[in-house]
Amino acid sequence: MTVDPSANFRTRVEQALGDDNLRTALDRATSRLRGKRTTAVAAIDLERLRDEARAIREHSIRRLPEMLEQLERNLIANGCQVHWAETGTEATDIINAIARQHGVRRAVKSKSMTTEEIRLNEALGQEGVAVVETDLGEYIIQLADEPPSHITAPVLHKRAEDIAELFQRELGMHPTTDPTEICAAARRQLRGEFLAAELGISGCNFAIAETGTICIVTNEGNGRMVTSMAPVYVALLGIEKIVPRVEDAILLWQAVARSATGQETTVYFSMSSGPRGPGQVDGPREMHVVLLDNGRTRILERGYADALLCVRCGACLNSCPIYREIGGHAYGETAYSGPIGAVVTPLLADNPATFRELPYASSLCGVCREVCPVKIDLPRLLLDLRHNLTQLKASPRYERTAVRAFARAAERPRTYQRLSRIVRWFMRLLPQNQDGDVSKLPPPLSAWTRSRVFPKPATPGFRELWRARGTQDTTSGDG
Amino acid sequence: MSARPAMARDRILERLRSLLREKRPPFRDPIAHDLPAPPMTVYPPSGRRSLVETFGAKLTELSGSCELVRSETDVAERIAQKICEWVPTGGPERTEVLSWAPGELHVARLEQTLAELDVSLFVPDDMNDQRVRDHAASLAVGITGVEAAFANTGSIALLPAPGRSRAASLLPLHHLVLIPLSRLYPTFEDWLLKLRKRGRLEAMVRRSGQIAFITGPSKSADIELNLTLGVHGPKVVHAVVFDDE
Repeated sequence: MTVDPSANFRTRVEQALGDDNLRTALDRATSRLRGKRTTAVAAIDLERLRDEARAIREHSIRRLPEMLEQLERNLIANGCQVHWAETGTEATDIINAIARQHGVRRAVKSKSMTTEEIRLNEALGQEGVAVVETDLGEYIIQLADEPPSHITAPVLHKRAEDIAELFQRELGMHPTTDPTEICAAARRQLRGEFLAAELGISGCNFAIAETGTICIVTNEGNGRMVTSMAPVYVALLGIEKIVPRVEDAILLWQAVARSATGQETTVYFSMSSGPRGPGQVDGPREMHVVLLDNGRTRILERGYADALLCVRCGACLNSCPIYREIGGHAYGETAYSGPIGAVVTPLLADNPATFRELPYASSLCGVCREVCPVKIDLPRLLLDLRHNLTQLKASPRYERTAVRAFARAAERPRTYQRLSRIVRWFMRLLPQNQDGDVSKLPPPLSAWTRSRVFPKPATPGFRELWRARGTQDTTSGDG
Repeated sequence: MSARPAMARDRILERLRSLLREKRPPFRDPIAHDLPAPPMTVYPPSGRRSLVETFGAKLTELSGSCELVRSETDVAERIAQKICEWVPTGGPERTEVLSWAPGELHVARLEQTLAELDVSLFVPDDMNDQRVRDHAASLAVGITGVEAAFANTGSIALLPAPGRSRAASLLPLHHLVLIPLSRLYPTFEDWLLKLRKRGRLEAMVRRSGQIAFITGPSKSADIELNLTLGVHGPKVVHAVVFDDE
């Protein structure tokens, strides 16, 4: 991994852009995912699906408190134990306590960004519990000791060659880049883990309030394994993951499948409502559900309820021209990257200014809004967030001073006119490209021209045009 | 557990209540309509093909396979043939397959037909028993019935119950799924609607412990989006649809 998520934003972006292998991997993967999505959504009434999906999610967020109570009631009636956590630490404490109570040493986990968000593997590791990631992609990056770089395709930043090399080193696989053989090596290794683990951990795609049901979407079957084979099963979910009815979960599942990978459905959709029933052959003897806030109520408080509608399909990542160039790690130390990540990462943080650059990692082209299955207006959220961060004085001091100075000049026509004349004269002295745009500004403005040109001033200028117009008949239309 | 999580619950709910009271509507551009009424559907209208043809075509497209056995008396025979294709039989050792209890499969003379080929069904009673578990995990073929199957997506729904292990559709490399024609529906939505109308949906979801929807063999595209089959679950899924009416 060439991108260091703990470096500063500019460094991360430069590291990403400088890595040809990373950019090859990103280009191959996002192009294919976008193509598959386009085909899959062209086959259906996409607008109807988006309207229905959006209505379900809006309904759920508006009625969160009542629906969470209903979910809790039903889970308990089904024989589950329900826990609530305000912070990530509270959640890891709860799960650690469950592990301790059962003497757990080995746990298997299916892919979950929420567990990434609270760094669950680290917390359990400190208690002596080895957590094995069982999603093939997550398993690969766990072996490589890297964080995921995509919400649904965590190892999207690696080429097949990179993965083969890793498996040869870590698992003693014989030299091959054949995905089938790489996959078989992982199956052998992980099958043993599934059967030996004392604890299964999963996230949750949707929680159904009316039945008390935790739904998991997977293609590999690891979701069914972790919810079926270990004697104890823990599901961790953000409180926004709730939907009212069974039908809603089935609809959103299909919306996610089409949007994420262009599938009509994923291979597996597991709906767990409780521990194994009387006389049943397999399934967990205990099922725990941990409901996590960890900043979600704050997202609501900060006025960004729209961000809570997200169903984590990753379509906005695959289509974003910025994500496709820099990949997930360039978004820093966060589980969520891409356009939705640029919104929720600062909002989930205690201090949004820690991630003040992220809302600017967007060209506001709007493609994320077009592909979103729940119609989140991501460009608008990014703009609002930029606005809020400026209000918080999160932008650099020189930028604020410059903008203030410009505002003062712009309020005084004479000053503005005089200044613009000076600027025009000054710009003629600067190096220009063949179009006459300025290719290099002096410091500190050189930050602008490092990656783009500064457009040449218009000739004739607005004031000259105005004067010229003023000599004509002003009543004969306004063009 | 301790007193703290209980307080966490009340604090979270109280915060949500007061915030949602304050910020109404909480969204920038709310889409005003109500919760959509089922059936909600995302499917294109299916062609003039029969349900079985549609189901078979879809499952085949997803790297599975499907056959229709018209005569009920032939079903056991076809199952036996399929098992022989997949695993060596007739050797010195008996061949065992991991299965649901025969009573759950609704196939006449299944055990007798298989016994003639020296194939027997292993029906686990408790997968927590280490010996049962290890043995079940060593078998190459799993046989299950279905609660329902869905033509438009090539999917099946499985519900665990006594005699119906989750393991049979999950651990072996080959999954043989037996589908009575009466359980084949056009879409998920048709099935849900029927259960909802009869007032059975909620109870079924709650009491089963886990409903699993399965669409084709286990797969991954994590390695540069190359399709690989049999990542954790079965690599081969074959459906035998038979007329039970």
